[in-house]
Amino acid sequence: MTWQTYLFLVLAGSTFSYSGYRFSLLYRLMKNHQGKANRLDRIPERILTTIANVLGQKAVLKKRAAGIMHATIFWGFLIITVGTLEQFAGTLYQGASFEFIGEGAYSALVMVQDILTLLVLLAVGYAFYRRLIIRPEGLGKSKDATIVLTLTGSLMISILLMNGFHILSAEPWYQSSMPISRLVAYFLKDLGLTPEFNGALSTLFKWVHMSIVLSFAIYIPSSKHLHIVAAGPNTFLKTLPREKAMKPIPFEDESVQQYGAAKITDLSWKDALDYYSCTECGRCQDVCPAHNTGKPLTPKMLILDLKNNLYHNKEKILAGKLEEVSPIIDQHLTEDVIWACTSCRACEIACPVFIEHTDKIYDIRRNLVMMESKFPAEVQTVFKNMENNASPWAFASSDRGNWAEGLNVKTMAEDSQVDVLLWVGCAGSYDDRNKKVLRAFASILKKANVKFAILGTEEQCTGDPARRIGNEYLYQTLAKANIETLNRYQVKKIVTACPHCFNTIKNEYKDFGGHYEVHHHSQFIAQLVTQGKIKPTKTLDESVTFHDSCYLGRWNSVYEQPRAVLQSLPSINLVEMKSNHDDSMCCGAGGGRMWMEEKIGTRINVKRTEQALETRAGIVASSCPFCMTMLTDGVKSKEMQDKVKVMDIAELIDQSTP
Amino acid sequence: MNIYVCIKQVPDTETKIKLNADQNGIDTTGIKWIVSPYDELAIEEALRLRDKNPGSTATVVSAGPVRVVEAMRTALAMGADSAIHVDLPESADNNWVAKSIAGALKKESKFDVIFTGKEAIDDGAAQVSQLVAEYLGIPSVTVVLGTEYLPSGVRCKREIEGGSFEMVEASFPLLIAAQKGLNEPRYASLPNIMKAKKKEVKTLKPSDVGTSEADQKIRYKNFQLPPPKQAGKKISGDPAAQAKELVRLLHEEAKVV
Repeated sequence: MTWQTYLFLVLAGSTFSYSGYRFSLLYRLMKNHQGKANRLDRIPERILTTIANVLGQKAVLKKRAAGIMHATIFWGFLIITVGTLEQFAGTLYQGASFEFIGEGAYSALVMVQDILTLLVLLAVGYAFYRRLIIRPEGLGKSKDATIVLTLTGSLMISILLMNGFHILSAEPWYQSSMPISRLVAYFLKDLGLTPEFNGALSTLFKWVHMSIVLSFAIYIPSSKHLHIVAAGPNTFLKTLPREKAMKPIPFEDESVQQYGAAKITDLSWKDALDYYSCTECGRCQDVCPAHNTGKPLTPKMLILDLKNNLYHNKEKILAGKLEEVSPIIDQHLTEDVIWACTSCRACEIACPVFIEHTDKIYDIRRNLVMMESKFPAEVQTVFKNMENNASPWAFASSDRGNWAEGLNVKTMAEDSQVDVLLWVGCAGSYDDRNKKVLRAFASILKKANVKFAILGTEEQCTGDPARRIGNEYLYQTLAKANIETLNRYQVKKIVTACPHCFNTIKNEYKDFGGHYEVHHHSQFIAQLVTQGKIKPTKTLDESVTFHDSCYLGRWNSVYEQPRAVLQSLPSINLVEMKSNHDDSMCCGAGGGRMWMEEKIGTRINVKRTEQALETRAGIVASSCPFCMTMLTDGVKSKEMQDKVKVMDIAELIDQSTP
Repeated sequence: MNIYVCIKQVPDTETKIKLNADQNGIDTTGIKWIVSPYDELAIEEALRLRDKNPGSTATVVSAGPVRVVEAMRTALAMGADSAIHVDLPESADNNWVAKSIAGALKKESKFDVIFTGKEAIDDGAAQVSQLVAEYLGIPSVTVVLGTEYLPSGVRCKREIEGGSFEMVEASFPLLIAAQKGLNEPRYASLPNIMKAKKKEVKTLKPSDVGTSEADQKIRYKNFQLPPPKQAGKKISGDPAAQAKELVRLLHEEAKVV
C-alpha cells in the first residue's frame, strides 16, 4: 500500500459512485415509461447481430471513412482498456501486472496496444479534421464531440508519454514490443533527464491517463457519448425483422385510456434507450427526404428533442408524477415535424445504432389524431371517405370493380376456386393511370393462364393510409372487415400491385387473424418469367431506370425481383439512379403523405424525378401506384413528359409479351 | 343556454342512386348513410356556442326511421350532450318531419338557439328549417356563414343572390340554418366516440309530439332517374362550318337557341 493506492481508491471510489448514480437515474427514467416493447425473443439471432454490429462494427462501416475512423477508435478502446485495467491493478497493488499470461502473449498484447494507441490518435486527428474542416452537414456542431475527442487524444498522448518515460527509466523487458513508445522515448531521451526524474514523469502521465479515464466515467452519462454504454444493448434489443408491423392498439381493453403518445412517458423504455444510443452522427438526417427538401423534420433532431423532453421532465418522472409531464409537441418538436414524415424508413436503415424513428412518429400521430383530432385539414376528407366508401378517395364502393370492365375478370363471389386472389387496391380501382397498370397485370395473368379472381365491391381499402396517419381505430375497422371477407373465401394466396397493400396484408393483418401468402406483383411476375409462363419477346429500345418503392424495398427487402422482371425484357438497358436499393429516395407519398398537401419546402417527388432524369433513361419504371402518381407529376413539372415515360413494370412486360 | 341542433341522415355523396320497385322512392339497400354535410356545420356551431357558454347543453334532434339514431351517434361523438329521436316512417315528408321536431322542442323546458343545415343534400328541399321555426313561432335566419353572438340575440351574415352578403340580427330564441363556410366541422376523437356510445338517446312517437300521418302533405308517385350522360360531340371542319354546325345542333338537338 502506497500513497498511490490510497489516492486511487478515493478518486476511483468517488468517481464510480457518482457515475453509477447517474446511470441508475437514466435506468429509472427508462423504466418509468408507460408504452410497451417486448424485445427478448429470438435470443441467438440477437446475439449474432450484436456481435456483427458491435464487435464487427458492420453498420458503422457502411460509411467508409467515418466508419473506419470509428472502428479504429472502438477496437483501440477495447484493447487499450485491457492496459488501463492493468494500470488500475498496478496502482492498487504495487507490482501487479498481466505478465502472468506468458512472455509471448504479453509481448503481443503490449505491441497491439502500442500500435493501436497511435492508430487511435490518427483516427482522432481525422475526426477533428472531419468536424472542423470537412464539416458534413448532418454532423453539425457539437461541443460534446470536441470535448470527447480532446479527451481521447489526450488519453493516447498520455499513454505514449508514460510509456516513453518508463522505457527511459526502467528499460522493461518488453520494450522491444513497443515500437511507437520507443520512438517517443528516442525523442524524450534528448531532454537528458535522470532515470529517477524520467520515472517520476512516467508516474505523472500514468495519473494524467487515469484521471482522464475517470473523468470519462463522469462525463459519459450526461453527454452524447452515452452511446458507448447504450448502443450495444440497443443493438441487441432492436426490432429484428425488416418486415416490421406497427403495434396494434387493443381497443377492447377498457383500461387503455391513452392512445398513442401525448407525453414522453407514453412512449416505451426502448424509445428512451434509442435516445441514449444516439451519437448525433447525422446519417439519418443526410438521407431524410423531408429534411432534404426543406421540411422542419430531421430524424436526428427528432431524437434529440425527445431526449431533451425526457431530461426536461426528469424530476417529475422520477417522482412518479407522470400527469405533470409536459407534452411531446412543444416549440421544438412541432406538429409540422410529425406530419412531414413519409415513413420511408431511410433514417432507420442508415442508423448505425438501430434507432427506430418511425415508431415514435406513429405513436405521436396516434395521439394527435385519435385523442386530439389534430391533423392537416385535408386528411379529414380522407378519413371520411375511408369510413363511408372504404377508399381514401371519394369514389363509390359500388364502382370498385369497374376498372376490369371488358376483361372478363371474375369476382370471388362468382368463382372462388382460384390459384390466387388479385388484391386491386384503391389506386388500381379508381385512379385512371393506375387502372391501366391493373389491366396490364390482369392481362399478364391471363397470358400465363393463372386462375385468379378479384373481390370486386367486397374489397375495401386495407386501412393502411389511416394507420400510417395515426387513425388506428379506422385502420382496424377496415382491416377486420377485409380479413372477415378473405377468411370467408378461405383465401390462401394473394397478389397485389400495391406495395402498401402488400406490406399491411402480409405483415400486419396477422395481428388481427389474417394469415396469407402475399406476393407483390413484381415477385409474382418474376416467378412467371422463371417458370417460362411469360416470355417477353418484343425488344425495348429505351434505357430504363427503376425507382424502388420504400414499402417494397426498405420495408420488405424486395429489391431484386422487380429488377429481374425488367431484365427479362429483351435488349433492355437498365440503369440505376445515384441512390437505389436501401439508399433509394422516397417519392414523397408514403406515411399518408399521398393525401396531404406539401406546403413547406420544395417538392420531394420533383427531387426524386430529377435523380431519375439524371440517368437519361427514357422510361422510369415503378412498381407502386403512389410512386407512379408522384413520379408522373414530377416528370410533368420538369416538362419532360414528351421524352420520359413513367411506367409500371407490369405494363412493360405486358406490352412485350404476345 | 339550451342549444338544439336538427340533423338529417342522408345517403353518402358517392352513392349510386337506384329507384325502388314501385318507383316512388329510392332503393335504400346497401346505402351508406351519413349526416348531411350542412348539418355537420350546424353541429359544429352548436358545440362551439355551448363551449363558449359554460353551463349550456347541446342536444341533437332528428326525425325518421330508427336508422337515424346512427347519425345522432355521430353528432354525440362530435360532442353533443344528448339526443332526441322522433320515430317517423321512411316516407314522412318535410312537413311531418318539421312539425314533429317542433313538437319535440316544445316539450323541452326552454330553447335559445336551434341550428340546422341550410338544406339536406338528398332532396335539397330546404324546407324543414323554416317550417320548424314557423311551427315554433320564432325567427329563422337561413344560409348563414357567419355569426356574432350578442347578449340578446345573434347577428348573422347570410349569403344572398349574386354572391353578396347581408347582415341580419334576430333575438333569442331563433333558428339558424348553416351554409358552408360557417366553420370547419371537427373530427370526433376516439374517447368521444367511446363516450357517445353511452350517451342518452330519447325516442318519441309521433303521438308524443302531437303529429300523425295526417301531417304528411306530400306523397311521391313516381321517380325517374336522369337520362345517362351522353358522350361529347366533336365538331370538325373550318371555323365557319364549325360555328354553323354548332348553332344548328344547339337549335335542333339541344333546343336552347
